[in-house]
Amino acid sequence: MDRRSFLRVLGLSYLFHRWLLRDLAAAGGPVLAVAEGADYGRITRQAINALGGMGRFVKPGQTVVVKPNMGWDRNAEQGANTHPLVVKAVVEECLKAGAKKVKVFDRTCNDERRCYINSGIEPALRGMKNVEVKHIEDERFRKVPIANGAVLKQWELYDEALGADVFINVPVAKHHGLTRLTLGLKNVMGVMGGNRGSIHKNIDGALADINSVLKSHLVVIDATRVLTAHGPQGGDLRDVKVLNKVIAGTDIVAADAYATTLFGLKPADIAVTVAAHKRGLGEMDLRKVRIIKA
Amino acid sequence: MRHTSSRISQLFFLALFLVLFLMTEYRGSDRIGVAVNAFFRANPLTAASTLLAVKGWVPFLLPGVIVLVLSVLLGRFFCGWLCPLGTVLDLVTGRIRKTAPLTWLKGSVKYWLLLPLLVASLLNLNLAGLLDPIAILVRALTFFVHPLLGETVRSGWVGLYRVFGEGRDVLDPGYRFLRDYLLPFRDTLYPLAFLSALVFILIIFLERFETRNWCRNLCPLGTLLGLVARLSPFSRVPAKLCADCQACRELCPTSFDRELLQKEECILCMECQLHCPNQRVRFRLAGFQPAAGGPVMERRVLLGGLVGGLFLAKLFRFRDPQSQARLLRPPGVRSEGEFLEKCVRCGECMKVCLRSALYPALSQTGIEGLYTPVLIPRLGYCEYNCTLCGQVCPTGAIPDLPVAEKKREVIGKAVFDKNHCIPFALRKECIVCEEHCPIPQKAIRSEVVTERDFSGRPVTVKKPYVVDELCNGCGICENVCPLEGKSGIEVFAVKDRTPLREGGLESGGKGGDPYS
Repeated sequence: MDRRSFLRVLGLSYLFHRWLLRDLAAAGGPVLAVAEGADYGRITRQAINALGGMGRFVKPGQTVVVKPNMGWDRNAEQGANTHPLVVKAVVEECLKAGAKKVKVFDRTCNDERRCYINSGIEPALRGMKNVEVKHIEDERFRKVPIANGAVLKQWELYDEALGADVFINVPVAKHHGLTRLTLGLKNVMGVMGGNRGSIHKNIDGALADINSVLKSHLVVIDATRVLTAHGPQGGDLRDVKVLNKVIAGTDIVAADAYATTLFGLKPADIAVTVAAHKRGLGEMDLRKVRIIKA
Repeated sequence: MRHTSSRISQLFFLALFLVLFLMTEYRGSDRIGVAVNAFFRANPLTAASTLLAVKGWVPFLLPGVIVLVLSVLLGRFFCGWLCPLGTVLDLVTGRIRKTAPLTWLKGSVKYWLLLPLLVASLLNLNLAGLLDPIAILVRALTFFVHPLLGETVRSGWVGLYRVFGEGRDVLDPGYRFLRDYLLPFRDTLYPLAFLSALVFILIIFLERFETRNWCRNLCPLGTLLGLVARLSPFSRVPAKLCADCQACRELCPTSFDRELLQKEECILCMECQLHCPNQRVRFRLAGFQPAAGGPVMERRVLLGGLVGGLFLAKLFRFRDPQSQARLLRPPGVRSEGEFLEKCVRCGECMKVCLRSALYPALSQTGIEGLYTPVLIPRLGYCEYNCTLCGQVCPTGAIPDLPVAEKKREVIGKAVFDKNHCIPFALRKECIVCEEHCPIPQKAIRSEVVTERDFSGRPVTVKKPYVVDELCNGCGICENVCPLEGKSGIEVFAVKDRTPLREGGLESGGKGGDPYS
């Protein structure tokens, strides 16, 4: 969204939702919406609506990329991938807001066919008009210079993610062996090409670098059920905890910071979050974040 | 183009073969209902060689035995009505100008091929697939034709992107259709692609000398069927060329180059009956009778074949220990000896493998294991939830296991190479292998170590280790290791492939976790 349209949205919201603007102005910092409930489609919509609705992010005729985490050949219950109902609700909201096309993809770790199907995401979106669920095609990665990259000076990113009008980041909150948790900032690895395993040497800085060139316009974190151990793949239902929560926000660092607390950890415990905050990508101090219970 | 019943049957089975070949691929369902393995299960040669090697009954080879019994009654109908390679030859032979038949191919060459193969099977080495016509065709398709087709179309598709960028999306539905139904999913290069193609092309080249040259003079499956066809009560009358006509000499694709119909070469195409100018020819039941035409083979051929089989089975066993250490078999294969008895080297497991993890052996197994499947983790790993190779294996050399059991089957064990592994060699973070390890309790774990890096600054690094009791050797760790070239973790073959303990993975208590 460019500044002009943002101002326009702001103006319109002032006219129609004075309370919303008041809230925004009052807090001064980022806003997060947290919805809770057993109907995952519904709480996803509630969280988005609490931010002002999808119309705030998606304008008619725009192309939207919805990037879930569907990297693993695990089913919805196992908590390794974003819940299909959350993804479906986000996609539906985009279409309702008038999106011309919604593209859903991820560069998977296991076999892409199995991941797309077993995650439940491809089946959930099957048959929806103007929705494209395609596997990654290698030729579409293109080298992007990272102007202020601390670790990476350039990297191959997926052109459909770069070219989209709106990039919506829909990670699942879960445990990760190296980074302790994987949330919104790390979910962006799914649009990275090349030997992305090699960034693990300095993953905090590298993820801040990537997120500085590929901004998430909206982050919807799926914490309906979370993997508390043996992530990012899991596989053992004893490691899965049902939280029935969805978090939405425009500040990726704030969203990650809040989701961190659901695991009984502090935002500062997650080095990826800290690095991104230091890079100016968002607010990690939750006292400065307005949290709306949707 | 003939339009006879036999030709219609041939075309039907060739089409069926190609459709089944294309269906031997993951298409969104965990089970593959029908695959090209149907052709191997109905194949008397691979059935016979496997049963001889196993020296026991293998239930799903029943169709092959039925075909063999039917051939005793009817003769070589398989060759003239079913065999897809025979059909391919019939389709191209008209375009190949003939010179004179090769005389040295006549006689007992075919027995010199068939007998040693069967004798080697008796000595527990199943080599029949190397010269089985259907296996030759499947391998040529899997290792050569299909990858070539895939790569050609795909590079065209990529080329379109280079020219039109996003504009290419207009054609996307068409490409998706091709990709989903016709092309191999991955662009895989196979060792032995050249040899597989060469054998196939050579068989076609042989058509230069006479029609169905391979089928008449070499094919071990045809030879086997020919042997039992001699007993067939179903025979053509008149058995000889008629003095006044001799049209059969031209009509017959196989066996009328001598005065007398060679029953073991007749493929029952019925051409002679359909086109007999005098309507004299009939095929009818004539009761069991010893076929004319002298003894099957000379004694020295029989003895030579036996000795040849002994040589085949025993002289090519040398294996280089270094490559043996990396000889990883598909999941569920617990004993190398048993595997060599059953594997017919048809290439189906390699065709179906989701991650292109399986390749035909060349150096790893010595000559005795030529074309048997080996897993090369650096190229592809065994997908945790996938059981496709076991499903399509025609002889059960790779057992068809339920997913839960297959996950516990041990392919090998992963071992770190600390001279290469990043956290050890460079004292930097990594553990990409741990992240990808599919075992729910993680067969790769790490300990947090605080030490000094090479410039003396204190660093905290997660250093990985393998929990041997939980590792099934799937190879994903080796596959994803971000090091270039050699991986920092490698899967090595183990003799003891006892499955991982039950209950350690998804469900039970702490059974599988030795350290909790």
